[in-house]
Amino acid sequence: MTMQPSPLYRKRKRTNLMGLTLSMIAMSLGLIALFWILFVLFSNGLAALELTLFTNDTPAPGSEGGGLRNAIVGSLMIVGLAVLVSTPIGILAGIYLTEYGDTSKTAEFTRFVTDIMLSAPSIVLGLFVYAIAVATVGNFSGYAGSLALTLIAIPVVMRTTENMLRLVPGSLREAAFALGAPRWKVSTMVTLRAAKSGVITGLLLALARISGETAPLLFTALNNQFYSTNMGAPMANLPVVIFQFAMSPYENWIQLAWGGALLITLTVLALNILARVFFREKVKV
Amino acid sequence: MDKHISSQFDAELTGVSSRVLELGGLVESQTRHGVYALAQLSSEVADQVVATEKQVNALEVEIDAELASIIARRQPTARDLRLLMAISKITGNLERAGDEAERIARMVKLILEQGSPRNLPASELRIAADLATGLLRKALDAFARLDVNMALVILKEDDLIDAEFNGFVRKLVTYMMEDPRTISASLDLLFVAKAIERIGDHAKNIAEFVIYVVKGADVRHTALTEIEKAVQ
Amino acid sequence: MPNTTQTPLKNAIEIRNLSFFYGTFKGLKDVNLNIAENKVTAFIGPSGCGKSTLLRTLNRMYSLYPGQRAEGEINLYGTNILDKKQDLNLLRAQVGMVFQKPTPFPMSIYDNIAFGVRLYENLSRSDMDDRVEWALSKAAIWNEVKDKLGQSGLSLSGGQQQRLCIARSVAVKPKVILLDEPTSALDPISTAKVEELVSELKKDYTVAIVTHNMQQAARVSDFTAYMYLGELVEFGVTEQIFMKPVKQETEDYITGRFG
Repeated sequence: MTMQPSPLYRKRKRTNLMGLTLSMIAMSLGLIALFWILFVLFSNGLAALELTLFTNDTPAPGSEGGGLRNAIVGSLMIVGLAVLVSTPIGILAGIYLTEYGDTSKTAEFTRFVTDIMLSAPSIVLGLFVYAIAVATVGNFSGYAGSLALTLIAIPVVMRTTENMLRLVPGSLREAAFALGAPRWKVSTMVTLRAAKSGVITGLLLALARISGETAPLLFTALNNQFYSTNMGAPMANLPVVIFQFAMSPYENWIQLAWGGALLITLTVLALNILARVFFREKVKV
Repeated sequence: MDKHISSQFDAELTGVSSRVLELGGLVESQTRHGVYALAQLSSEVADQVVATEKQVNALEVEIDAELASIIARRQPTARDLRLLMAISKITGNLERAGDEAERIARMVKLILEQGSPRNLPASELRIAADLATGLLRKALDAFARLDVNMALVILKEDDLIDAEFNGFVRKLVTYMMEDPRTISASLDLLFVAKAIERIGDHAKNIAEFVIYVVKGADVRHTALTEIEKAVQ
Repeated sequence: MPNTTQTPLKNAIEIRNLSFFYGTFKGLKDVNLNIAENKVTAFIGPSGCGKSTLLRTLNRMYSLYPGQRAEGEINLYGTNILDKKQDLNLLRAQVGMVFQKPTPFPMSIYDNIAFGVRLYENLSRSDMDDRVEWALSKAAIWNEVKDKLGQSGLSLSGGQQQRLCIARSVAVKPKVILLDEPTSALDPISTAKVEELVSELKKDYTVAIVTHNMQQAARVSDFTAYMYLGELVEFGVTEQIFMKPVKQETEDYITGRFG
């Protein structure tokens, strides 16, 4: 038995087609933008990706060649310290918000402040850390840089941890309580464990975010032309190096800047993919 | 009876109850015709009674199958369960009452074949017979309306039938002693009397099951005074 | 007032004048009943009648949520567990609970069982192994999992997960086990296995079970309580409730004329 398409049906089909087309156009615009960025990055920065990038330090103005070793190491150290500090604070704060505070005034206030900090311009945070950790001490330092990045990372970790913990069904918690477990054990050994993959994903995303932050580092870690592992003094780092080199008149500096940009992009891309893969695997119950 | 949430279930219960009443109607007419055949010594009416037997048996089988189906599908409890249990037993009682009526009819035919003396007190059986058919009718009414008070009345009246039966047996014995040639025919009549008495018993059983459905008390094999107490 | 038959049994729990409040809403109204030791007591009634609420007062699970409070007395072997000074964790180690949705912890099967035991007992490795085996056997699931104790509890089927949860409750050797619609989420065969389990469990534990399925209550329990709108309407021996209930409301619910 065949059905004659009514005029209403045909109109719906047309509207559907229009909507679909518009969405496809929007999506392709987004994709085009993304691929264009990647293309420009790759075409300009690929040439810089050679071993010397990792073995040589940033060159002095006017000198030839050079690499980004000090900047890479500096970034690793600054970001690494920030992650080390923000992870426990963020996770514990997230646990507090879900398991202990929940609807209390303290918790509500904390969430409010966190939301503000999440959307605060990073340059403001950088300036703040400058005022308390650089101006007071008298010199720029890697520690100050880490502090600024920590302040950016904590709200992110806190929020994602809270969201992931909230996804854990209440029945799981109740089951642990029903055995006579005290609250802290329920929070850590059961709830947190159940939300493990989501929390780790949050950490990876926070990491990806702070790896590329430039503004705060400008006022805190500044930069260092030479290789240094002393965090009490100015340290080289990728974002600031890129900033400095990109608009310089020197060819090799510009080249290195592109290389650095590509490096950061690839790292952030890798972290995001890792987060996705990790989360998807574990979410299969 | 109040309605179930499942109107289908209600329909099924009503359906099977109606079938029982249908069976009851058939058996009731069987007994009336049997008694009539006896009183008038009519062969045709006796044949009718025997013919009805097939219908009665088929209906009994149908009702039992329906009961099993309902129990399997509905898992009835409390009042519903008691109703279905009662229907099962009542059906059995009705079928056996029908058998008794058939027995009466067969006896009538036998008496006619043997050309027995017509001066036997067959007409005296009429009283007991009418009581029995009346009792059956009352029992079916009591079931239809689930009337416990009527059931109690029935239980008392069955005693009357038993008394009539005993009286009739004594009369027959007198007859047999007076004229030994009537022994054979008398014995035939005795069987008929017994059949009538059993019909009364079946009516009484039905009444007992009505009490079971309504009150949840199984009053079989209990003295009347005890039953009255249980019903209050 | 409850309509009870005379039971010369020892009571594990005696509930007296229990009222429960969700904020201002009264979820339980002056409930009085006894839960007999080593017997299965079932709670039935339409949705919202308070049966789950009642169950959750027995292990003070409601104390996790502010705004919920109980009034009255619940005596567990003579101790009033509604007392403010009652140690909740200790109480819950004595009164275990299994929920509607199977909730295995995100750990190995072995650790799932060991988790509860480790809270209050310090067992050696071999003693713990024995306890785990014992608990899983009691839950009739040992043979199915004995070769994969290291695997995650989440890798089991729904019915197995629920039996794992029962094993977990049993492992800490509570006095009372509360079952909140334990088979609602299971297929018929798993349901039958769990029901069989409940009959076994009552030899050593007191069991209270809330169920939506009346036939399950009829099959599994020794005593049944019918509740409606927060009140205990009727309580008695299961056979009597299902053959000849005293109250008309009970009969109406049981025969499907209401609810």
